[in-house]
Amino acid sequence: MINEKSFFHRFANAIDIWLLASLFALVLIGGFAVYSASFNYGISSKYVTVQTAAFFLGIVLMLFTAGFNYQYYRQLDKAVYIFSILLLVSVLIFGVTINGAKRWINFGFFSFQPVEIAKLAYILVISSFLDKNWKNIKKPSALAYTFAILMGHFILIMAQPAFSSILPYFLVTLVLLYVAGAERFYLLCISLFCGLSVGIPLLIEFLKLQPFVANPSSYIGYFINSLQSNVIGIFYVAVVIVALIFVIWWLLWKFRVKISIIYAVLLGFAVMFGFMASMSVEKSLKDYQRKRMVVFLYPETDSRGAGYNVIQSKIAMGSGKISGKGFLKGTQTQLGFLPEQHTDFIFSVIGEEGGWFFSQLVILLYFIFIWRALIIARESRDRYGSLVAMGIAAMFVFYAVINISMVTGLMPVAGVPLLFLSYGGSSMVSSMIAVGLLFSIHMRRYTYY
Amino acid sequence: MVWQKESKFIYEIFLEKHKIILVFFALLFILLSVRLFYLQILKGTHYRKVSDQQRMYNTHERAPRGIIYSDNGSMMVGNDFTYVALFYPFEQQETPSDETIEQLSKILKRDIKPTIDRGWRYGRVVKLADNLTMEEMFKIQEKKLILSGISVVKEPRRVYFYPEQNSHVTGYTGEINAEEVARLYEQGYKPGDYVGRGGIEQYYDRFLQGTDGGWQLEVNAKGNQTRAFKYIHPEIGASVHSTISQQLQNAAYDALKNSATGRGAVVVLDTKTGAVKALVSLPGFDTNKAGTREFAKYLKDKDLPLFNRALQALYPPGSIFKIVTFAAAVELLDINLKETEICTGSFELGDRWYACWLKSGHGRVNLIAAMAQSCNIYFYDLALKLGVRNIERFARKFYLGERTGIDLPNEKKGFIPNPEWKKMKTKMSWLQGDTLIFAIGQGALSVTPIQMADMITAVANRGVYLRPYIVDNIINIKGEEVFKHTVRTRDTIELSEETWDLLYESLVETVENGTGRRSKLSGIKVAGKTGTAQNPHGENHAWFVTFAPADNPEIAIAVIVEAGGGGGLNAVPVARKIYESYFGIEDIEEEAVEKPKRKNR
Repeated sequence: MINEKSFFHRFANAIDIWLLASLFALVLIGGFAVYSASFNYGISSKYVTVQTAAFFLGIVLMLFTAGFNYQYYRQLDKAVYIFSILLLVSVLIFGVTINGAKRWINFGFFSFQPVEIAKLAYILVISSFLDKNWKNIKKPSALAYTFAILMGHFILIMAQPAFSSILPYFLVTLVLLYVAGAERFYLLCISLFCGLSVGIPLLIEFLKLQPFVANPSSYIGYFINSLQSNVIGIFYVAVVIVALIFVIWWLLWKFRVKISIIYAVLLGFAVMFGFMASMSVEKSLKDYQRKRMVVFLYPETDSRGAGYNVIQSKIAMGSGKISGKGFLKGTQTQLGFLPEQHTDFIFSVIGEEGGWFFSQLVILLYFIFIWRALIIARESRDRYGSLVAMGIAAMFVFYAVINISMVTGLMPVAGVPLLFLSYGGSSMVSSMIAVGLLFSIHMRRYTYY
Repeated sequence: MVWQKESKFIYEIFLEKHKIILVFFALLFILLSVRLFYLQILKGTHYRKVSDQQRMYNTHERAPRGIIYSDNGSMMVGNDFTYVALFYPFEQQETPSDETIEQLSKILKRDIKPTIDRGWRYGRVVKLADNLTMEEMFKIQEKKLILSGISVVKEPRRVYFYPEQNSHVTGYTGEINAEEVARLYEQGYKPGDYVGRGGIEQYYDRFLQGTDGGWQLEVNAKGNQTRAFKYIHPEIGASVHSTISQQLQNAAYDALKNSATGRGAVVVLDTKTGAVKALVSLPGFDTNKAGTREFAKYLKDKDLPLFNRALQALYPPGSIFKIVTFAAAVELLDINLKETEICTGSFELGDRWYACWLKSGHGRVNLIAAMAQSCNIYFYDLALKLGVRNIERFARKFYLGERTGIDLPNEKKGFIPNPEWKKMKTKMSWLQGDTLIFAIGQGALSVTPIQMADMITAVANRGVYLRPYIVDNIINIKGEEVFKHTVRTRDTIELSEETWDLLYESLVETVENGTGRRSKLSGIKVAGKTGTAQNPHGENHAWFVTFAPADNPEIAIAVIVEAGGGGGLNAVPVARKIYESYFGIEDIEEEAVEKPKRKNR
């Protein structure tokens, strides 16, 4: 390839104006929100200064990343993986413990969250693996390798611990596997397994909150209680479901819908193992954790404890109504009722002070951003670029969806930031680097080998 | 555009999946938008209200209760101020920290235990200690920084003058309990309010309650005040003007206290209006101690000091019931005053003997003398002639077994026995012996002191029954009269003039020469009737009902000395002291007692 054009000329050419505009708009709204959120702390300028500094540092890093050919990451994928593992190990060694978790490395004048960089490295590595093995992608072994790569990060992140970062990791992996062409049925089985192992303890906890179950003399209450106390009980349910799967398969067979028995067997295994895993999850979860997982459905049952954050966040969002209470005039924000308002609950600040107008605008801007990222994935010159862009888009989507669901009471409270808006230097810098990766892919879409 | 080095076919498969992913992401964002629409547009008004509710906090400044005055305008109950330590819950803290409690306990030298309120909500304060002195208040204010969430507020406190003397007239106040809140919520009572307990405080609570005020504040999540909106001045409750004469009240209290047992009740009524001039029940209690730990001892006291004997205690009337039998006899029987009977001290009926209180007998007595000497034998004879139905009818005529309707809480009705009741209760028939003891006011017949006072007032008024009352008028903060008692005649007992004349004569004779002579006053004619109520639990109760001046009655008194023995000996001097106080007569009791005139006729 021979291209005499300067980098900036090429960059200007590569700029996706929609992507950049939505990004700047989000950061701008985020800046105002962070200012307002920290206004009542009396250190409003500090947070906004840090956030702005991180943004400009992010722009510089974004330009560097954009200039660097993303295909090198494919060639150096082992080095990238080792680098990300080292990052995650280093935080366990040098990290400072805040609230019982080691997530930060303190460099004196600033501190840094390695997981923010590690998640980008993970997308690069997993995309590289899927790209290189695309011909074997239908085989179960490819799945096994993929999850082995995931496990490396998974275990190290659990060691911090940072449970909330795990969910986007997992979802991004599933999306990439799907796009790369993995057998959909395997993905279904994996989702089923994971869903069951986490879902059953939550379902039991949820049912225990229901009045007709709380009464142990009712049939359902007795059933749930016996499931809980009796290990055998839960296996009966599993066996019944597996039997049902085979019956349905047999019926379909009879009606000339010929499906290989291997599918029914796999599905049965997924259910069986899912139930088995749920038992160990059930045992490992502490009572308060289980409670926190379902309390968002009935926050009023523990309005001063686990339900406090959700209640206050919903009040903040809702009380903003259509037009909002005005900048620096949100009572939930300024009087400190809203917890973690400059980080995880920044969206509630926007919802309260900017009203429905601004919160819907943020969602719209986010969607424009995602849409452009997906366009970049589509226009990439090779599969690797498409997968990386897709992975980055999925990451932004899941962070945003989890965060906004959490603050609006659709999901349990998990410490996931709203990228570009939440206060936090590390996530701002890593998000900008991710945008840099997108540009790196976009710039080289017409470059030929 | 296709992937270089890849076939177009493979890229198109990717494009398919790409499209599905795009749609999936779009659906997620639409879901979030729907949620936003629901929260902010559909439920916006609700959440706006909730957010205002939790930031607005109304400090509650309790209004002082109305003042209670005696008949001459002197204060019976007033107010002063005390300081109360409160905890304002903030953020996720419902109760003060152990450290705060420890510090506060150290400052106040008290053992403070905060009660955890399960039905907690924003803005609910927890009361930690009350009745703080000024010094303690300043000490807490000095250490406010380490005592997070603690504040001290001024609260009105009830002050009772003559607390022991007036205890059953005024009653006392206490914090409303859960059951009362449930019952009175619709009338505007809420948890934390103080309500009257007993006496005028309870009966006129509605008027005495002031309108609470306070600041409407904005508070932040830590419970700190950020802005103040407006201040509502608390308004004192209405002033209650009672009919109690503090002088008579004190005299009655002292006299009863110094009687044989110091237990019992006195009711003094104005015979012209039915106004209660004094109402004493002993033992009393110190109303100023209400709400303190010392008050608990009253609850355990076997003498039941919190029990208002004047309205709630049921005693047999004893011989004062002879007023009723007397009236019935004159009305229904053809009584000739010239006719006499011989009292030998005992009376034979069937195979049983019924004794007169004077074992030796009264000898020859006519109706007047029998009344004056309270001769049981004469009345046994009347009883047999009248029959139980007539006596019962006259007892009802005199409003026994019925509340007087005085404006004080928890008045009891008393009880009039009859054959049907006995049959039902004991499965035994009414015997003539029952009629005998009924006629002299013993047995199952029971009355309250206020009923006896009301009855003797009616006798003084020759049949006009007045409804006794203790509050004359109530004036609110604006000076408007919101309540005024109107003197109401309950009924007039229609008896012949002759009956009233004879009754009057016999009651005067009782004091002049009979059992009530210890109440004889120089210069003022007194009428009265003594009684001795049999007490199955011990010594007999001493009764005396009286009015004076006999010719133009002004006041009527009912006295009972619990377990005081004979009425003539123990209840009469109490009434005499009250008369002395009322008429301003020097103490000439000694002289009166030194001249016993025992006429055995």
